[in-house]
Amino acid sequence: MKKLFIVFITTIFSIVSFNTYAKTTVTWWAEANADRDPVFQAKLVDAFNASQNEIELVIEFKEGLNDILRTAMLSGEGPDIVETPGPSYVKEYQEAGLLQSMEGYSGQYGWEDKLLPWSYQAGVFNGEFYSAPKTFESMIMLYNKTLFEENGWSVPTTLSEYEDVASKIKAAGMNVFAYGSTGWQPTHEHLVGMYLNSYAGPDNVYKALIGEKDWTDPEFTGAVELLRKHMVDDGYWSGSLENYYALGWDDFHAMFASRGAAMMTIGTWTFGATAAGFADSSDEWDWAPFPVLRDGGADPAYLLALGTTMSINASSANPDAAAKVFDFIFSNKKVVLDMAADFNFGEFVVPLYFSADDIREDVSPQVKRYLVEFAEATGKGDYGYTTWTFWPADPGVHIWKDMEVVWAGDISVEDYMYDHQKMWDKARKKGELLPVGAR
Amino acid sequence: MIVAKYRKRELVSNYTILTILALTCILPIMLLFFNSIKPQEEFGINPFGFPITIRLANFVDAWIMGEYAQIFLNSSKLVIGTLILNLTVSGLAGFSLAKLYPRGSNAFLVYLLVGVSIPAQMFILPLFLMWKELGLMNTHLGLIIIYAGLNAPFATFLIRSYMIQLPDELFDAAKIDGANTLQLFYRIALPISWPVFLTTGLVVGLAVWNEFLFALTFVHDDSKKPIATILFAFQSRFENNWGLVNASAVMMMAPIVILFMFFQRRFIAGLTSGASKG
Amino acid sequence: MSIFFSKNSIAWYFILPVLAVHFMVVALPSLLSLALCLTDWNGFGKINYVGFENFYELFDDRYFKKAVWHNIVWTCLFLTVPIALALTCAYLLTGITKGQMLFRLCFFFPYMLASIISCQIWKYIFHPLYGLPAWLNSKGIDLIPAVSPFTMKETSLYAVAFVDGWHFWGFLVVIYITGMYQVDNSLYEAADIEGATKFQKFRFVTLPLIRPIFIFSIMIIIIWSIPTFDYVWILTQGGPAYSSEVLATNLYSQAFDRFNVGYSSAIGTLMFIYTIFIVSIFGVLRKLGWEI
Repeated sequence: MKKLFIVFITTIFSIVSFNTYAKTTVTWWAEANADRDPVFQAKLVDAFNASQNEIELVIEFKEGLNDILRTAMLSGEGPDIVETPGPSYVKEYQEAGLLQSMEGYSGQYGWEDKLLPWSYQAGVFNGEFYSAPKTFESMIMLYNKTLFEENGWSVPTTLSEYEDVASKIKAAGMNVFAYGSTGWQPTHEHLVGMYLNSYAGPDNVYKALIGEKDWTDPEFTGAVELLRKHMVDDGYWSGSLENYYALGWDDFHAMFASRGAAMMTIGTWTFGATAAGFADSSDEWDWAPFPVLRDGGADPAYLLALGTTMSINASSANPDAAAKVFDFIFSNKKVVLDMAADFNFGEFVVPLYFSADDIREDVSPQVKRYLVEFAEATGKGDYGYTTWTFWPADPGVHIWKDMEVVWAGDISVEDYMYDHQKMWDKARKKGELLPVGAR
Repeated sequence: MIVAKYRKRELVSNYTILTILALTCILPIMLLFFNSIKPQEEFGINPFGFPITIRLANFVDAWIMGEYAQIFLNSSKLVIGTLILNLTVSGLAGFSLAKLYPRGSNAFLVYLLVGVSIPAQMFILPLFLMWKELGLMNTHLGLIIIYAGLNAPFATFLIRSYMIQLPDELFDAAKIDGANTLQLFYRIALPISWPVFLTTGLVVGLAVWNEFLFALTFVHDDSKKPIATILFAFQSRFENNWGLVNASAVMMMAPIVILFMFFQRRFIAGLTSGASKG
Repeated sequence: MSIFFSKNSIAWYFILPVLAVHFMVVALPSLLSLALCLTDWNGFGKINYVGFENFYELFDDRYFKKAVWHNIVWTCLFLTVPIALALTCAYLLTGITKGQMLFRLCFFFPYMLASIISCQIWKYIFHPLYGLPAWLNSKGIDLIPAVSPFTMKETSLYAVAFVDGWHFWGFLVVIYITGMYQVDNSLYEAADIEGATKFQKFRFVTLPLIRPIFIFSIMIIIIWSIPTFDYVWILTQGGPAYSSEVLATNLYSQAFDRFNVGYSSAIGTLMFIYTIFIVSIFGVLRKLGWEI
């Protein structure tokens, strides 16, 4: 009897331990964010772990993920799932042989049909799929709707309307746009990207990306000169160049919400902060695409940007399990949109084919409109290119860092674009260009 | 009589200049303190004055959100560990350089001086790879070794220059009694040089407590992070929640300030005896 | 056998531990990094030898030159303003008795703050919307325009240096004042009888006697200003428009933003050579009989 009992106990134990032991562990390092981490854990990690019993997904949140990850990967370690801030990082990792190709998994699970084409293309390096998008973003123009109605201003769609509204706003004693770069110096590239696409047109930007046009061409120098004029001479952003440099995220949101400025140029990651800022205000906010600043006009284009990417570490022992995690994400629009809604669509907006019905009830109408219109416009081909998704590392830093030199008046726009073209030539020669889907 | 009058005028001008300079030093810090006990709503109307309503709960909030109980422990561990390692190795070296007159000691001093002026950004990447190989990543021991190394030149210099002024006769007498070199160090040099060890300890401890670049890079687990990295994270996470950010800054500087006030006289004595014989 | 226990060997055994720790933490990784200056390594992939290409590019790089110039300005600033202030202050302090310790504590207080705290304070004070100038303007006092000096290219370098200097100069006061206390009071009395002015007493009695400390302070300022990084990085990241870029921030952004590790090693190499040069100047002065 006693012996039987012992056998019984050991059997139970071995079953239990076998089960836990047999689970494959997949590790994922993600950038830490106090507000988002619990949601990630609950709605993605726990949901995935509950959905099956072969794989245990473990997510670790790290501050300053970039530098930590890079050094860990270099020494052949790091997590199974590698998160990077954009394709330029993927390129470096992929070149160095630190990532596994996901071409096989993509074919097996049919990811090409699940992801929006431009975002899928941005992950194809040397003909193979290496990185999946975790979130996409675009640049928009927010405005204080109540304020616009009170003053009878209309949302600009052309250059002359744009400059006209701007001068009216200034005459009313407000700043045209609330924005600032303290805490994130690369903020300048948001503006450069908007002006390049809007003034020169996405077709020309595309040609320059693939090398059929030079950045020294008048379309581009004109765009940069216009931005310089609006920034430095006219002080559109927060009143002056100096204030634009000095304001941080909390500052410019407060400025926009308290009628310190009538508009704000920013990426779609702003939705949550803007809604929160206007919560106590009687004003209403809305958004519009950035106006087309070139002659002749056209439909406004949405700039394409990948916020974060996900790949599989070359040294990962469990690539199959990691791929299952990805497929779980791409196949569950509900999970994705639920999480994205919790983050106010500033994070985890995986570029899938959403329709209006997929979106949660409580999502604000402004955001709903954005998701639907973005899908429509980009589907028609009205899209442009952000610098942080399509520019290689060196020119990608030059475009914002040296923009300051132009604004300071230390260098002419022509010289700046000449330097920029030189960096592109060098990057092209060294094979550092990033994937751009055919237009 | 005339001299006395002249003296008085001189004193008044002395005090005026000194007070102005002292205020420049202390007012910004007072501001930090005032703002740490202000409620958030008050910043709009009273950004620079003494708080109208005092809200000590800022400290409680920061304490809980930053998990300061653990964080203080981590930082203390780093400081104490670094001090033990750093003072031991630097003490031995300082003694040798001051009293044992090794050949080629000048070359070693030059080496240390060059070591001080190498920017951390230059060697942080290879160091990271080395630490990974040695399994020292994400451990307090790893950081302690780094801090001990970074502060070694300064500590060695300071201790050396203090010990140089000790009379040689002291050691000669002990040598005749048959003491070996190590005994000379801990029986004679150590007991009479404790002021310089105190000073060095304070300076090195201060540097470790305030350091954030290496801490940010070499420790990833939240439960192991020292205080400076937490304040750094607070500053970006709660950008304009000034009450909270200022309260955590005050909590970070409080232990240091108390320690320095306590040891002020001793500290200065050790530092200057070192500097004067640089 | 005897060579291991000779007086000289034993002396070196005492130095060995510190050498080992410092070598492992600073020297070895620095040498590894220096070795990369002839390559085009990007921090990820394979390492290619490119000869002196990085250096040719560096000598053409106008922002590198700017950084060099800023480092020189930085050193000169710290060699003048904080030293002058600290000397004055220490000298005045020796002339008073009441409240001396309190003053000393005040001057030394900023030195105890972490760089991130000092920067936080001064950023708040100079904030263009909520800072002191803006607040004064709102009260009708238009003394200073409400612009942050950290964001104007004309002032950014000096503003950063001001904050760093504010933090640092109390340290100098402390070491000067203790040096001055070692000056024999009878010398001042003798000078008083001769009818010397305050400045003459300072120039001909105080200064010569604290010379060793004075030279020590000059040396540490020169050496510490070579790798200066913290304050610049936290306050301006070298901007706007490279107007506060120094060598260490230039090196950092090349290595960590632009993936040009080889290039940044070349910057490090030049800094290293400069350091050796400075240290050997001190060595020569020492040989010439200066008390350093």
